[in-house]
Amino acid sequence: MIDVLSAAMGLSPDDPSFWMPLLFMGLLFALIVAGTLLDGIDLGVGILLGFAPADARRRLMLMLSPWRDANEFWLLLGAGLFASAFPFAWGAILGKLFVPVAMLMIGVMLRSVSFEFRIRASGRARTAWIGGFWAGSVLTAFAHGVLLGRVATGYQAQAAHVWFDVFVGGCAVAAYLLLGTCWLVMRVDGPLRRLGVACARHAIRWTAAGMVAVSVAFGLANAGIFYKWSSAADLALTLPIWVMMLACFVCMEILLLRLGRPDSKVVAGAPFVLCLVLFLLMLAGLAYSLFPYLILDDMTLWDGAASVSSLRLVLAATVVAVPVMLVFNLLGYRSLFGRDRSDTGVVGPA
Amino acid sequence: MDFSPLSLARAHFLVSLVFFVLFLAIALALAWVLLFFKVQARRTAGPGWTAAYRLWVRIFALAFVLALASCVPLLFQLGSVWPVLMERVGNVIGPLVGFAVVTVFVLKSCFLGVMLFGQRRVSDLAHTLSVLMVAVGLTLWVFWLAAMVSWTHTPAGAVLLEGRYVVHDWVQAVFNRSLPWLLGWTLLAAALAGAFLMVGVSAWQALQRPLAEGERLAFRVGMVVACVALLLQGATSVGAARLVAAVQPAKAAAAAGYWSSGETAPWVLFGWPDAAAQRNRAQASIGRVPDGWLARDAAGRLQGLDGFSGMLPPVAGVFWSFRIVLLAGVAMALVAGITLAWLGRRRLDPSALPRAWLRVLAGSGWLGGLACVAGWLYMELGRQPYAVHNTVTVTEILGEAPASWLAGSLAAHAALYAVLALGFLRMVFHAARYGVVPVRKAGARP
Repeated sequence: MIDVLSAAMGLSPDDPSFWMPLLFMGLLFALIVAGTLLDGIDLGVGILLGFAPADARRRLMLMLSPWRDANEFWLLLGAGLFASAFPFAWGAILGKLFVPVAMLMIGVMLRSVSFEFRIRASGRARTAWIGGFWAGSVLTAFAHGVLLGRVATGYQAQAAHVWFDVFVGGCAVAAYLLLGTCWLVMRVDGPLRRLGVACARHAIRWTAAGMVAVSVAFGLANAGIFYKWSSAADLALTLPIWVMMLACFVCMEILLLRLGRPDSKVVAGAPFVLCLVLFLLMLAGLAYSLFPYLILDDMTLWDGAASVSSLRLVLAATVVAVPVMLVFNLLGYRSLFGRDRSDTGVVGPA
Repeated sequence: MDFSPLSLARAHFLVSLVFFVLFLAIALALAWVLLFFKVQARRTAGPGWTAAYRLWVRIFALAFVLALASCVPLLFQLGSVWPVLMERVGNVIGPLVGFAVVTVFVLKSCFLGVMLFGQRRVSDLAHTLSVLMVAVGLTLWVFWLAAMVSWTHTPAGAVLLEGRYVVHDWVQAVFNRSLPWLLGWTLLAAALAGAFLMVGVSAWQALQRPLAEGERLAFRVGMVVACVALLLQGATSVGAARLVAAVQPAKAAAAAGYWSSGETAPWVLFGWPDAAAQRNRAQASIGRVPDGWLARDAAGRLQGLDGFSGMLPPVAGVFWSFRIVLLAGVAMALVAGITLAWLGRRRLDPSALPRAWLRVLAGSGWLGGLACVAGWLYMELGRQPYAVHNTVTVTEILGEAPASWLAGSLAAHAALYAVLALGFLRMVFHAARYGVVPVRKAGARP
């Protein structure tokens, strides 16, 4: 695989201008996966705030706070890595995504400020900042979907494509809601779990619709991707992905149905794990479709990468950041699983 | 007004930039002040310093949250508002962006949590050290930003090959000619923004009720920092003005409102530069522009705005942002000087001030922030029409986003910034009035 790639680029595999971009792309993919899955939980719970009763909102916010600091950083780290390692793709891509990026920025800012200001505000202001977190989460999730829709259709911006983007944006809100509620169902029981199950069962349909729509659009808009997913040689790889995604949807639907009943014996974490697998498969499928391009059929990751002297400096910065990330972020996420008991006792003032 | 995509893109980026810079400046200044409070509390064991720390760490935290949140849009706008910018300068700016992101990541992950939520969990020494590291980290963050911005003013250590800058000497590129001035000016502007905020809020508290010991101490520290920073900033501004005349003569001429080259240049007190008519409307002038603040051509004549073949910055914007900096500086000097004369023998205790003057002080709390914002506007507007001085124009890095998108996005961003700034102010005054209840994050315990 590596040999084929390096031969195609006309570079030796141990040439820094070959392996450094590849390394950074791997790292970037890891950051995107971490951000989508881990911050996706926060996004989903944030969206759920709109459906939750007022007294449950405070508890939901509290449940997110152990890893909020870590989650806040995935986007900044990913953007920083992208802009510094692949500067020539940064503007080329973002220039075509002006509207969704603007939405994303508004949403992200509103979310992170609302969360931090809420714990320091008092009374009515606190309710308002929770509303801000909800609005920011919905906008961020929607913007993610629009970004994905734009990438899937090859950055087209005619009216028909706009409607497609809006549809994918709505489905992305549902997908994050599904991730967040599946996580919540694992962590709590009682009325909050019932609410989670009800929301998840609505969200799962729109998630499936969105994923199918994006896949179809990818295939129809880009002949190369259609070939990748349908050629007989690669079917051994692509067919299991399709089957597994379908199986995930079906199993989740069944499990959620059972979890909604009062005396269910289903392991509460099962839908969450399936949902993680689903998101992972989707991201892996996206990466498989695009690789080695940053802009499909136009700019490979080697075209977008900075010069070797600049990449060396980026590598130095990465060497500092990665250990810090591993230690502090893992510490933050150690309470991601396990039953939340905060409704039984008195919790911190927050 | 001009609503072309270019001017909207410029406004879009500048609005995001100044919001970020303002809160970064406040956070930076307060971090060092908080370190001083901590050290004093350890040294003297007086309760006043701890009380002062407790209020101002809250305001620091709010400013830091805003600075951190608003740096993300700025980074994305380097791509979305100026799509060709990184194509030109990616090799230079890219690694500096990476360093800035890693700096703030390490500072936030390793030290900020301990500083804000860990006071009870770690020893007092470890807590003081974490405050020190937060202050150092913020300063380093500002350093990388200053390196980036100053390089665009005086690009060095890199050559433009086939539309892309390629770096041949990183030391020259980072430590370029304008870095010391830009960094110095930014640090001092931050000190002034923070110090005047402290003076203003403390004076406002003195209007509400008799001051506690901690509030008196905060006022005193704010006054001292303000006076020292004002003196240093005066010197830095003169040095920076001479550098601008040497390396960016068009910006110097625009700041002076000096249209036609000649032997003497009057100091324009007031006026509205009219680019179409090539002169100032309603001009009132006095004396002369100090020697060295305007560039001279080969014949020794002062260079006016007519000498740059139309490659001019927006003259009115540069002219007025420069004057706002000066006016704010003069106002701050007057306020600080009079207060010092009043209180110099009374250990800077604000309780001795009449209520009218306390109102003046409370009203001047935002002067430092205004000078900081206007100074950055002057710096950025003055580099136009270039994105990198003399080589890359803003026209060539502009994208295809139509004016309507840019206007909509600008309005949405501005509205959000306004909401966040109002929220910040409300919480600052709430904390100043009713005190601070310490917060902790659920799960942030060991």
